[in-house]
Amino acid sequence: MALLEIKNLSLYIPTGTEQVKALDKVSLTLAAGEIKALVGESGSGKSLIIRSIIGALPETWSVKADRITYDGQDLLNMSRNQRRQIMRRDIAVVFQEPTSALDPSVKISAQIQESIPDEFIDKGFIWQRWKQRQQISISLMHKVGIKDHERYLDCYPHELPTDISQKLMIAMALASEPKILITDDSTRGMESTTKTQILRLLSKLNKTKNLAVLFVSHDLLAVTNMAETMTVLYCGQTVESGKVKSLMKKPLHPYTKALLDSAPSFQVSLPPKSELIALKGTIPTLQHLPIGCRLGPRCPNAKKECVVTPIPRKIHEHQYSCHFPLHFPNVKGPDKEVHL
Amino acid sequence: MTPILQAENIEYTFKFRPSFFAAKSIFELGPLSFSLNTGETIAIIGNNGSGKSLIAKTLVGAIQPQKGQISLLGSNENHANKKTRTKTIRMIFQHNQSIMNPALSVGSMLHLPLNLNTSLGYSARRAKIEQTLLQVGLLPEHYHFYRDMMSDGQQQRVAIARALILDPKIVVADEPFAALDPSVRSQTVNLILKLQKELGLAFIFISHNMGIVRHISDKVIVMDKGKLVEHGNTQEVFKDPQHPVTKKLVDAHFNLVSKHFEST
Ligand SMILES: Nc1ncnc2c1ncn2[C@@H]1O[C@H](COP(=O)(O)OP(=O)(O)OP(=O)(O)O)[C@@H](O)[C@H]1O
Ligand code: SF4
Ligand SMILES: [Mg+2]
Repeated sequence: MALLEIKNLSLYIPTGTEQVKALDKVSLTLAAGEIKALVGESGSGKSLIIRSIIGALPETWSVKADRITYDGQDLLNMSRNQRRQIMRRDIAVVFQEPTSALDPSVKISAQIQESIPDEFIDKGFIWQRWKQRQQISISLMHKVGIKDHERYLDCYPHELPTDISQKLMIAMALASEPKILITDDSTRGMESTTKTQILRLLSKLNKTKNLAVLFVSHDLLAVTNMAETMTVLYCGQTVESGKVKSLMKKPLHPYTKALLDSAPSFQVSLPPKSELIALKGTIPTLQHLPIGCRLGPRCPNAKKECVVTPIPRKIHEHQYSCHFPLHFPNVKGPDKEVHL
Repeated sequence: MTPILQAENIEYTFKFRPSFFAAKSIFELGPLSFSLNTGETIAIIGNNGSGKSLIAKTLVGAIQPQKGQISLLGSNENHANKKTRTKTIRMIFQHNQSIMNPALSVGSMLHLPLNLNTSLGYSARRAKIEQTLLQVGLLPEHYHFYRDMMSDGQQQRVAIARALILDPKIVVADEPFAALDPSVRSQTVNLILKLQKELGLAFIFISHNMGIVRHISDKVIVMDKGKLVEHGNTQEVFKDPQHPVTKKLVDAHFNLVSKHFEST
């Protein structure tokens, strides 16, 4: 059974006179011990999904969903307290901007200590408890690969290099020994060596602690190195999901194909300085969403049927929402493909 | 190919305090020398804090190097003239969001450099703005748009339009692709390639994205702690990196790429 399950989540945001549908029937599952990538461009709604999971949404926004469950428990219909408890212990999030998520005026040592749940500290005199927290902090830092903890404990956040602050954010997220770690765009703007370190760290935690990871990113190189499964989001709609391998090999949705084409590293025989394949236009704003399939105006394959939102279809473990998928699956002869 | 810019032994040193209580440290950039040809692209790579952005700033004249000189070649105008320089070299900054003034429309933002640097009248300026908007893949309507009405990618194009509007010969860009989405990134890459082909634009950019660096640059400069540690033809540097820093960056990239191909 899925550890985290989201089924048909829609999110409405009021803007002036009307409501916009920022998320449109998004579905997503994460199994225990799985690494899943959530991929999509800026403004596609990745962070909104995370905020819907953790319940950090303004009162005026409305959420509609068939279900959002953690370990079988209904997150939408439980008491605030119960939900807070789950967020405190079981689901940890590392946010997009490490420097803004850390308190600039508080030393690192205090911030890590703060993240350790009280129940991990045995009763004792105050200095004994402090000592215990300090020890746990140091072991957390070691766990994420910060060896010279002495050097950083006494620092303020702005004094840290980016890779160290990102690792610290992960360390703090791990303090409660969560079952699920959600990382929001944690490799953006990192150089390749630092990125490799962070990816290794996440894979290791996944293997040794059976930690489930929801890896939110639009860095495809990072995604294929990390995740077994991925869900692709465009403009608040889930367009395709399945095993990373099969999506990379045979994307069914035109948007997934465009994403893959955009990474020059994936093209084996691309001559230097040659033109890259690119979709025309840009992701529309929420105020100007096209009806039906939201890729419509930019899609090279769009036909008149596309003004109706495509329903999700499934072949094996591979799910897609498109009226005219790229490799039309042939049920009788799986080796044969029809290109539309 | 004709050299258009030459940097000779430029050096820039400054003192800074890494934190409030720490002792002052000194950052030394250079000495470094390189030259740029018409239609050529140079990528500057290196770890965080290695001095990449400083190079960009000295090139556009935002910082004066204490030693050495940067000369613009191939035009017989007076190079000491600041106006000529602003027209010849234009910069696209790292965070266009904070640079783009929310209170100004795209149109007024693009009038500004034309006002300051050319003697064009209003209607000529309007025509130039319209042409530039189209050139970067925006529409004439965007003239009336404000920052908050545009997506990241569109704002990035405005930043590019602002750099191109004076018909520069050289564009310097600090992480122009980092904030861009995959599909918009490809469009921007294609735009730059097109401008190079059509106008012989020379392009210097800083990037962490090794895939893009490898694809669009002719030469790479590798920086480490303010020093230029490697400089060469891109394809050769990727094939046979010499300096340990370059090796690390290139290896890390190829490991990611090869794992991708193993897994698919
Ligand atoms: N507070 C808000 N009020 C109104 N609209 C919002 C708000 N926050 C986000 N949005 C809109 O919701 C959409 C999705 O935003 P979201 O932050 O989830 O994008 P994202 O996929 O995380 O992008 P990025 O990769 O840039 O982080 C965007 O169109 C954004 O403009
Ligand atoms: S449904 Fe139509 S517009 Fe949407 S992705 Fe498929 S072909 Fe393109
Ligand atoms: Mg986000």
